[in-house]
Amino acid sequence: MLSKYIASGFTRRTFLKTSAAATAALGLPKMALAAGEPIKIGFLAPLTGAVAAWGKPGLDGCEIWAERVNAAGGITLADGAHPVEFVSYDNEYDPAKARTGATKLIREDGVSFIMMLGGDTWPGVQPVAERTGMLFSTLLPSDLSPDSKTLLAPAEVHPIYNVTGVEWLAQNKPELKTAVMCAQDDALGLPSVATYLAAFEAAGIEMLDEPLLFDPATTDFAPVVTRLLAKNPDIICLDTCYSDYVHPIAEQLFQQNFGGQIISCTADFYDQMIAKTSKEFMEGFIFQFPDFDDPALNAETVNFEDPNGFYAEYNKRHPGQWGAVSWEYASIMDLWKAAAEKAGSADPEAVITAMQDGPGKHAFGDAEWWGEELFGINNALVGDWPVVAIENGKAVIKEFRSIPDWYSRHGDLLIKHMQAYGQMWDQRS
Amino acid sequence: MLKPLMFLFGAVALIALPHGLSFSQQEILVFLVINILLVTSYRLLTLTGEWSLGHVVIMGVGAYASALLTKELGVAVPVAMFLGGITSALLAVLLSFPLFRMKGFYFLIGSFAAGEIIRLIWKRFREPFGGVRGISGIDPMPDFSLGFYSFDFFEPVSYYYFAGVIVLACLWVLWRIEKSPVGLTFHAVHWQDKLAQASGVNLRAYRTLAFAIASGFAGIAGALQAHYVGTVNPNSFDIEVMVFVLTWAIVGGTTTFYGPILGCVLLTVINEIVLRGMGFEQARPLIYGAIMILSILFLPNGLESIVQKFLPRRSTAKSDRKAEA
Repeated sequence: MLSKYIASGFTRRTFLKTSAAATAALGLPKMALAAGEPIKIGFLAPLTGAVAAWGKPGLDGCEIWAERVNAAGGITLADGAHPVEFVSYDNEYDPAKARTGATKLIREDGVSFIMMLGGDTWPGVQPVAERTGMLFSTLLPSDLSPDSKTLLAPAEVHPIYNVTGVEWLAQNKPELKTAVMCAQDDALGLPSVATYLAAFEAAGIEMLDEPLLFDPATTDFAPVVTRLLAKNPDIICLDTCYSDYVHPIAEQLFQQNFGGQIISCTADFYDQMIAKTSKEFMEGFIFQFPDFDDPALNAETVNFEDPNGFYAEYNKRHPGQWGAVSWEYASIMDLWKAAAEKAGSADPEAVITAMQDGPGKHAFGDAEWWGEELFGINNALVGDWPVVAIENGKAVIKEFRSIPDWYSRHGDLLIKHMQAYGQMWDQRS
Repeated sequence: MLKPLMFLFGAVALIALPHGLSFSQQEILVFLVINILLVTSYRLLTLTGEWSLGHVVIMGVGAYASALLTKELGVAVPVAMFLGGITSALLAVLLSFPLFRMKGFYFLIGSFAAGEIIRLIWKRFREPFGGVRGISGIDPMPDFSLGFYSFDFFEPVSYYYFAGVIVLACLWVLWRIEKSPVGLTFHAVHWQDKLAQASGVNLRAYRTLAFAIASGFAGIAGALQAHYVGTVNPNSFDIEVMVFVLTWAIVGGTTTFYGPILGCVLLTVINEIVLRGMGFEQARPLIYGAIMILSILFLPNGLESIVQKFLPRRSTAKSDRKAEA
């Protein structure tokens, strides 16, 4: 009797559940929005913990972007204009929590697109993406592979753009001949190490030692810096260290009297670094992420709308919080909005088709969909990238340089070092 | 008569539970079930008086072993999960040789060091462990049908039933071990070690046995997680996760079997459902920390002390009623 009851209950439930799952999996992203109904965009990134600096400022930037777009009438699809709203989920940079977050955003919140930081969290989300066909974006193209057709890297080709900083340095400070490097031993650090090694080799700068890989749990950087300085290098490269590492390493370099050149992927909250060291020490620090009040961003080639106004508003609301990702997720939304309006639909498949139909309007200029050699799929948007230096306590864009140009000349070096560090798409397990 | 009815009610409640939850809560439920096995296995080790900081890494050993067995050798997923547990237990036996030369605080630090060595090995050797990116694309549990229910293991409800049955079986075994003479000896090793030794108990052998059993079940928990999430990496088993396990055990209490389970369930619900639901997503670490401090201040014997207070009162009331009758 009981088994009969359970059996019949389960059959009905299974049917309902399967229907619900099928609707969620296949129907929700394609579901037509009612007139004026908000388009929901998922924000699935670390908002707490050690990697929050590459999630939270991006969400803050997106909120400003949404207010601006909504004030201008929203996103115009075939059925009329829709306001846009963001739904966030803190994945704590954990793949299991990222999976839970993706499930919530797709099946419960009905989002049309999900933005992620990527990295360790993407493999947890990948099965959800495959099952639902949802369109995702990542800031880390090393997540790209031919298996993930609905994953795009439209904002940055981390870490490939780091080559522009090294190339600029070699051309403008030819007296710098030797370098050492340190990085955290993780999925963000290693591809960046391979890229910097290729860039230094291409620029004729000698590496004095193997890259020093430290554990992400490291808190005492004195021994790390002591070892770096032991070789007396002209350049110290901080790779793609998180800001929690860049700050104490810079402090240690200052305390141990390093007077040479520092190059890093990021220098988030560099004003705090200056406060901990000195303006003179930080002078000439090279990195890759500009402040958006930079006059160079008002050039006609730049596709980010009103960057100076965006920066001013961001700093008004979140003083001292501007970082590498503050504008990046918003710039992805610019691309998504343009593609959705072109397709007349928020449906993930229609948007991705419209987005990849021709060159993309990247924040720093028109760019190509690229990446088959490195990532196995042309889902990364690549063009120019700025080289930024700290001058008199302020980040200044020195030059925009073309990543595809560098790659056409030195792509073989990049592939060689990526292979050595097991970072090619076909080497990832 | 009452006991079978209670079991029946409990079973029906556990079967019905996911159907009253949202999709994301069902996902959380799956991880909660796995974590219950993790924290309960940890408690078995604490019975001998030793607290380890390497338990989560040992869980990772089971996850890595099971993932590699399925990916590299094509072993069936359920068999690989079991072998993952065995691998963790065997590694624990190996680790016990250096670790049980230490006691108390020294064992705690030693276990942390051992765990870090294992994590560094995972990171250092891309073959076969995948380096810092770990292993992804791990085979999921293959779908099957029982006629009245079709298991699609992408769906959290199906995996909850699967993991739930395994975890319940493991909890039953852990319960039986604790109530057996071996379990009583574990208590003796903790509280009366000199007396136990004088009675012929080999303290080190029993500590090793507890360590191996606890590690074996932690390994099964790791394997369950790996085949659901589809990826493992060294950062998923770091000290931060271990702190959560310690917190569940401390807040719940470790003198009873259900103490750590209470801690795990309550803190997970607060952290993952209540605080997120109330819109305190980014303030969660702060609030979670405050709850921990308050519970340690006002509930020094853990949540289990509340249940213990309630239980004797109920039995006293029952005996009073009997006496009146």
